[in-house]
Amino acid sequence: MTLEERVLNVIEENLEEKAEFNVNTDLRDELGLDSFAMVIIVNALEDEFNISIEDQHYREIKNAKDIVNALREYCPDLKEA
Amino acid sequence: MKREDIFSSLSIDKSLANKYDFNPYYCCIESGLNDPILIDGKEFIDLASNNYLGLAADKRVIQAISVAAGKFGASMCGTPIATGSMILLQKLQKRLARFVGFEESIIFPSGYQANCAVFMSLAKQEDLIIIDHYAHASLIQGVRLVGCKVKPFLHNNMKHLRKLLEKAAEYKRVFVVTESVFSTEGSIAPFDEIVKLCEEFNAIPVIDDSHGIGVIGKTGRGILEEKNIKDFNGIYTASLGKALANAGGMISAKSELIEYLKYSCPGLIYSTALPPPVLAGMEAVLNIVKEEFSILSERMWRYKKLISGCLIDSGFILTEGQAPITSISVRNVEECALMAKLIHANNILVTPFIPPSVPPNESKIRMIAGANLSEKTIDKALNIFKKVARELELK
Repeated sequence: MTLEERVLNVIEENLEEKAEFNVNTDLRDELGLDSFAMVIIVNALEDEFNISIEDQHYREIKNAKDIVNALREYCPDLKEA
Repeated sequence: MKREDIFSSLSIDKSLANKYDFNPYYCCIESGLNDPILIDGKEFIDLASNNYLGLAADKRVIQAISVAAGKFGASMCGTPIATGSMILLQKLQKRLARFVGFEESIIFPSGYQANCAVFMSLAKQEDLIIIDHYAHASLIQGVRLVGCKVKPFLHNNMKHLRKLLEKAAEYKRVFVVTESVFSTEGSIAPFDEIVKLCEEFNAIPVIDDSHGIGVIGKTGRGILEEKNIKDFNGIYTASLGKALANAGGMISAKSELIEYLKYSCPGLIYSTALPPPVLAGMEAVLNIVKEEFSILSERMWRYKKLISGCLIDSGFILTEGQAPITSISVRNVEECALMAKLIHANNILVTPFIPPSVPPNESKIRMIAGANLSEKTIDKALNIFKKVARELELK
């Protein structure tokens, strides 16, 4: 599974309701996630990748692509299929 | 930053209210919660207040308040640790505790304050607080003030809660926080399952029963009665300004914990106690609940079913809920404003919820029909909803 797919899976599994989205979907403005919904996803990402996401980075996240890019930058050891 | 700039930066965006020439918030009600209520000299049907059992303007409650005002005056002008600790307060604390199934309780000036204060006194930075995604703002504010790790769980999702509890071993203490009845939609937490999970993982359950006390349970005693939970080893909070039709908030728990809070909770110790007339009013409400809950409850539920049925038949989309709350689900704030304005123009007072009170794209119009409303009033409301549906061309 690619990094992109793993991130999309984490988001999908941690939404209140099923929704159509892709890597470019704005999580807050288009998917309608509130601050707690974002925290749920950030916590799930921390568990999935065994990392700690700082508040500053969390606030910069707009979409799944931002998460994937941040993972590649800060966690270069992550293996991608 | 200049002082003028600081103040000018603190403005509210009222573009939506201006666009629809309608602001449903802070309207001026000129009567008590009667049937009808008065707004701007006009008669309105009250489907907005949390007066579930319809006891806010009950003559017996008013009489008890009057007698207490005559005997004790307007206020004891002191906090519960000082002169606020008067006989009516002490008796009511005991009675409320027994009512919901505890040994002891303490009464705060508001439910919001009780929820904010409890976590500051009990939780520390090394703890973990797991909280329902849709928990009330007062609970969220309370847990954030602690400064510890906060993990929201998906709304009423036990699988997700279990997953978070399984990864909580590193924390000193773990609290699981939720509401009994989620007031914007009327869903009820599977609190029996939450209590079991807390036992399994040695976590402390905290339940806010503000919309459950006096509403659910066979005799109106709230969530613990509703879910048949015995010997609850957790923390219970509730507002006393909803079905119990007065003001204030309560916290109940085992005696030792309440004793600890009585001397350690700044939100309690440094706030003026509720005034004697309010305490007497609540006693009167509890007397009525004891004798008449089944009649009042039956009427409350019947009105809920009539309103929900009529709205569905008329083409409105409702959120599914198990409490006596009817919530119209609307697509966005614009639709919410338009629909609320139309209902308001037909002299029904409802509560529109828009973000941040609800998640984005989940605006709602909430209605609670109190047991004080007459059958005739409900009939009138149903006809108005049919008319509004036609105007909105819902079908």
